[in-house]
Amino acid sequence: MLEHAYLIPIIPFVTSLVILLGGKEGKDSKMPYLGIAAMGWCFLQSSVLFFRALSGRMPLEAGKEFFLHQRFPWLEWGENLRINVGVLVDGPAVTLLFVVTLVSLLVQIYSLGYMHDDKRKKRYYAYLSFFTASMLGLVIASSIFILFACWELVGVSSYLLIGFWFEKPGPAYASKKAFITTKLADCGFYVGLLILFCYAGTFDLVSLKSYIAQGLLPVEVAKAVGIGFLIGAIGKSAQIPLFIWLPDAMEGPTPVSALIHAATMVVAGIYLVARTYFIFTAAPTTMGAVAWVGLFTAFFAATMAITAYDIKKVLAYSTVSQLGYMMLGLGVYGYTAALFHLTTHAFFKALLFLGAGSVIHAVHTNDMREMGGLYKRMPTTAATVGIATLTIAGLPLLSGWWSKEAILHDVYAVSPGMWVVAVFTAGLTAFYMSRMYVLTFLGAPRNEEKHSHAHESPLTMKIPLWTLAVLSLFAGGILHYNGLFEHLVHFKLPEGSHGSHHAPAYLLPGAAIFVFAVGVGLAYKLYSGSLETAQQLRGKLSIAAETLEQRYYFDDFFLGLVKLSDKLATACYWIDSRIIDAIFIDGWALVLRALAAVNDFIDSFIVDGAVDGVGTITQDAGWGLRKLVRGQVQEYLLYVSLAVAVFATFMLSR
Amino acid sequence: MEHIVFYSLSSVALISALGVVLMRNVLHCALMLGLSLMAVAGLFGSLGADFLFAGQIVVYVTGVAVLVLFVVMLAGRESELNSPQTNDKWPLALVIGAITFGGFWRFFGAYADTYATTDAEPTTRGIGILLLSDYALPFELISLILIAALIGAIHFSRVEESQ
Amino acid sequence: MTLLHYLTVSGILFVIGLFGALTRRNTIGILMSIELMFNAANLNLIAFNRFLYPERLDGNVITLFIIGVAAAEAVVGLALVVTIYRNLNTIYSEDFNLLKG
Repeated sequence: MLEHAYLIPIIPFVTSLVILLGGKEGKDSKMPYLGIAAMGWCFLQSSVLFFRALSGRMPLEAGKEFFLHQRFPWLEWGENLRINVGVLVDGPAVTLLFVVTLVSLLVQIYSLGYMHDDKRKKRYYAYLSFFTASMLGLVIASSIFILFACWELVGVSSYLLIGFWFEKPGPAYASKKAFITTKLADCGFYVGLLILFCYAGTFDLVSLKSYIAQGLLPVEVAKAVGIGFLIGAIGKSAQIPLFIWLPDAMEGPTPVSALIHAATMVVAGIYLVARTYFIFTAAPTTMGAVAWVGLFTAFFAATMAITAYDIKKVLAYSTVSQLGYMMLGLGVYGYTAALFHLTTHAFFKALLFLGAGSVIHAVHTNDMREMGGLYKRMPTTAATVGIATLTIAGLPLLSGWWSKEAILHDVYAVSPGMWVVAVFTAGLTAFYMSRMYVLTFLGAPRNEEKHSHAHESPLTMKIPLWTLAVLSLFAGGILHYNGLFEHLVHFKLPEGSHGSHHAPAYLLPGAAIFVFAVGVGLAYKLYSGSLETAQQLRGKLSIAAETLEQRYYFDDFFLGLVKLSDKLATACYWIDSRIIDAIFIDGWALVLRALAAVNDFIDSFIVDGAVDGVGTITQDAGWGLRKLVRGQVQEYLLYVSLAVAVFATFMLSR
Repeated sequence: MEHIVFYSLSSVALISALGVVLMRNVLHCALMLGLSLMAVAGLFGSLGADFLFAGQIVVYVTGVAVLVLFVVMLAGRESELNSPQTNDKWPLALVIGAITFGGFWRFFGAYADTYATTDAEPTTRGIGILLLSDYALPFELISLILIAALIGAIHFSRVEESQ
Repeated sequence: MTLLHYLTVSGILFVIGLFGALTRRNTIGILMSIELMFNAANLNLIAFNRFLYPERLDGNVITLFIIGVAAAEAVVGLALVVTIYRNLNTIYSEDFNLLKG
């Protein structure tokens, strides 16, 4: 199983090609079952690896921190540029493999129901398989170069999936926005990659790690590389300020949102930072940057979620916020905690998205103001989403509790100030998640017509919901039990990096429980009745609400940036055309013309004159000589005789 | 005797040659040419070349000179008698002639004391033997040339039927 | 009589012929001058044969050949003159200027 780990990304890739090229397009296409079967195999293989690694029955390579490291030469240009293709399987990779294949499998099963009436099923499943293949390749790649390639493939396939309903303007615009924004960030990744390669001369993660462990990389360079990678991660994982694409990406099909924006693509940035953690730890400044980016993202995204009424937007902001948590965890040396939260978050956020998809599937709207009281119509969805909400909100002993608590613990160790903000954010999370749940499922129906048409989703959608619900409930506890996950990730903290702050034993869980209770209670109180209370509150805080609804004007900021650069370009154009062109180019042209006139004079009167003079002289001489040659044979004879007489006389008389 | 013969023949040859070149009437020129050739034939005789003496008279005087006379009478005109028969390049031609003769004279001076040491003998037999032995091939070629000249002359001078 | 005498006569004869060939306007005159030059050459050959190699007759034979060639030349030349006269209605060489550029 282990030595054939490379099959895990390759099988979905081949499957996607088969699906894309084979079979018939349409509602009745049988291709989805092929995709599900292939993903089922991948999930089987991944889970075997995962559970064997978890139970300690899979040995690490001797003296190393990974299970498997296969390399094959791929591109070789001379001595210095050699790129290997290969797989590196270690604890985080195994975890991600398990999570990605599981979520992908569940999403594909769920899509059978959700995309039941879609006419382009075959293409949809081909994209899903292609995306999953790219993501798995990213997870398992042993070389940053391959990782980067898969990273871009993930970007492409997310573009395709977000814009799956490309005939509508919204998804088309959103896919473009997502693509361009992430590409912008990828520049940072790419620059960091090139800098790193220039110094280390290798792309291989293991070689790089030992290279940096020997202290060969200057700290300044490590800083630059780290910042570059961080920018890439900011784009992919939707951190501030480049998170703007993620809320718009909700235009895609909801299962796609569950796959891409909960469990896989957006955690690629986190995974990148985790995979190249040795670079970040080599330059503590970058660690601070990671932490602050994470903290800001977590907080601001959480506040934005408060005012949103689009159910998927709430989840999107929530995702951004939770990704900020993971980033924060990584920034405070909470490597294990961050990956732990990544895993649990994948379960409950996928569950939330799939549940939201189920709701949208039932009521055909995203607006929570049109919902309410749906628990009667959709008990399964209500129950599972309720579990997920409680999990993300931080009900003790559920998955989210354990992982968030782990992060908060690490944050407190480094900086209690950050911890305060993080805990407050946790409260906000509890608040807006409860708000979403209350608005959607509890209370009285606000739109009777939609409510009456609502119905529970089919079995293909229920199975994934329940599976994820179970995982959301227990996965955290199981993994946390006896330090199982810690053992799997096998992270050794760098010397002297651990924080010095120690909280009283009751403080951390106490604060978390407190903010959870406050958040949930407040949300229930505000939103369980009619919306009027909330609307009044919004009226009082209109400026703040407006700011939040406009996402802190980040979009406007970027639009303004674009407009500014447009203005700048106009100004540059003006300068170029009126000053540079007018003075330098045209002026220079005038000078050149004058010079050319002089040149022309010299050329036509002196040079040409000389040339023509030679010609004229020759011609005149020819005309003159022509008179000598009058066609008179006798004259020729005369000259010949003269010549012969003279020459013969003088030559023979020697 | 020898001197008298030589000088008289030489003077006749040279004076009549001058007549050929300078006289205005072409008919007279042709007659002068015949005289000059005859005098040269006499010089051949004084040099003991009896066969060539005969050949010169037969071929040149009675062949070529008479032919020239015919042509002169065919192509001559009365008006020619009034126009100069030499062109305006004659001074230059004179210079060329002087240079040429000067060149000759430089070589001829070496033979001022060369006398004939043997008596002249009949040459006809020897020439006949040479023509049919050593010079058989040139002899045949000459006959070919004469035939070619004959055919060429007929070709040039005949009147086209179509005209 | 020395060889010089004969050579002198032949030289003068040649120069007279050359002068005639260069100055006569009449084409027939030019041809006649050329005949004079042939005769000068013949006289030269015979004289050398007689004075320097009296026991041989090669000079005589070559003279014979020259007479033959000269006859052929005269025949062709005169035929050409007749043709030219027929076509151009002139026998003056300065009128033959088709070669003029």
